[in-house]
Amino acid sequence: MNFRILLKYWRTILVVAEMTIRQQLMDGFIIFTILFQPIIIAALALWMLKGKGPDYAIFVVVGSGLTGLWSSLLFISGNSINIERWIGTLESLVAVPTPFEVIVFGKNLANVFQSLLSMILGYIVAAWLFGYSLSIVQPLWFVISLALTIFGFICFGLVIAPIFVMSPAVQQWQNGMEFPVYVLCGFLFPIALLPNWTTPISYILPPYWAAVALHGTTTAGTPLNQTLFALGMLVLFSVIDILISSRLFKVMLFKARADATLGLE
Amino acid sequence: MNAIEINHLRRVYKTHTGVIKRTSKEVIAVEDISFAIEEGELFGLLGPNGAGKTTTVKMLTTLLIPTSGTATVKGFDVVKQADEVRKRIGFIFGGERGLYWRLSGIDNLRYFASLYGVDPEVSKKRIPYLLDMVGLNGRGDENVGGYSRGMKQRLHVARTLLHDPDILFLDEPTIGLDPVGARDFRNVILNLQSEKKTILLTTHYMFEADALCDRIAVINHGRIIALDTPGGLKQHVADLSVVEVETFGVPESVLEKLRALSFVDSLAVENNEQKQMLLVQTRRGAEAVPDLMSTLDGQRLGRVVVREPTLEDAYIRLVGGEA
Repeated sequence: MNFRILLKYWRTILVVAEMTIRQQLMDGFIIFTILFQPIIIAALALWMLKGKGPDYAIFVVVGSGLTGLWSSLLFISGNSINIERWIGTLESLVAVPTPFEVIVFGKNLANVFQSLLSMILGYIVAAWLFGYSLSIVQPLWFVISLALTIFGFICFGLVIAPIFVMSPAVQQWQNGMEFPVYVLCGFLFPIALLPNWTTPISYILPPYWAAVALHGTTTAGTPLNQTLFALGMLVLFSVIDILISSRLFKVMLFKARADATLGLE
Repeated sequence: MNAIEINHLRRVYKTHTGVIKRTSKEVIAVEDISFAIEEGELFGLLGPNGAGKTTTVKMLTTLLIPTSGTATVKGFDVVKQADEVRKRIGFIFGGERGLYWRLSGIDNLRYFASLYGVDPEVSKKRIPYLLDMVGLNGRGDENVGGYSRGMKQRLHVARTLLHDPDILFLDEPTIGLDPVGARDFRNVILNLQSEKKTILLTTHYMFEADALCDRIAVINHGRIIALDTPGGLKQHVADLSVVEVETFGVPESVLEKLRALSFVDSLAVENNEQKQMLLVQTRRGAEAVPDLMSTLDGQRLGRVVVREPTLEDAYIRLVGGEA
């Protein structure tokens, strides 16, 4: 793939992201998922950990932000494919020369980017409502971790999207997929509290490494090596997800065309 | 080279019911069809609901995988070379769906221009040109949700022309349009034809097919039952006249009596609320009217007209009265 094609795809990703945000700004469900749900989670968690100090508070702020990212990716990105099916645009999107994964990348970028609001809102709840004095221990590495977290979540979403393309029935399983990822990725408490057999599952999920990196850069006393290792693993599993999704998209799109599930008729 | 070639194309849908005891059922939508469309030709595909028109179009536009047989568009296989096919085609499926109602007309076009890989500088000029061409000049900034059905159909046309494709698939594009909107739309199709675009048009409106198409294939139960020019198809009924009888609530038993008359070649019934229009094809012309009237004795009748057969009459004869 040459530079010109990559540039063309990047331009398309930005247009897809822009149009996605424009449409979603008018959707009450999306506003709830991005704004209100993370506030509720952050407020409940901060209340439960009341009096345990600012380290716990920043852990909760980052954790509730990550829950917002994941919910947004799972519900909004997943639903958006079904919405495209209902409004009759899924067929048009599949039948354009741009690879479908590029379109989904743009949609995920919009959703993940919007969801960063969740983290900012969690920060505001902790600082203003609960009066915590919050500080980020390694600001530069925090910003880098945040950028790679966005990338990691987008790539993780690319693995999920083909399943939604294949069948509208997958939507029934969405609720069941939400909570296990919160837990397995250690968004709000360490995975050390979970049974040992779940640890390998956490390790192959990019959001787990994103959580380790973000929690590490905001918690005093975390060695930089640990953060760098987490970032390396985040990039590694994100790239693996891209490769898996590329194959999955081909298989699932072919299956959707064979089973006639792109449209509603 | 032909623009489109179809060889023994077949498509079977499988439906499943039940969770524990799962049963599957097969429905044949397209059964062994073959035809070719020349470059620059406006080709019509006519047939009753469920005949296989949309399934054929979806296979040609790479949205459905054929169960068997092959199809090529501009020489590219629709299954193995779908990416090459997609660069060269545009399509419209009739109705209001397929657009983003929360975006403006211009944003819809910007979005699809980007997905079709149109250079941003080119699309800046092309979008106003296309809006003007389809008569949406000055309305492009409005959200599509506020457009009328006809405006949405015209926006569909602009969308499908963004990347200037050689081949267009128009699947019932005038369905649901008011007469003026449908006429304007037909003018757009004629303009596209004058630009040497190859067009495959499916429609239920026979006068539309008669006025626009170079050749027409009639499809029924998934098979091509006739393929000819509009004039050639009319020859199927050249020896017939059509008696149109306006009636109100004629029962099925009387219609069966009419069908049984020896001089009645076929009978089609068009229902329009309480009014019925009986279309009787007969070789006896006006001489058939007295016998028809005596069979309809006691029924409430309106006007009776004897006329020359049209493409619609040829179609009715070919598909056996199914509409």
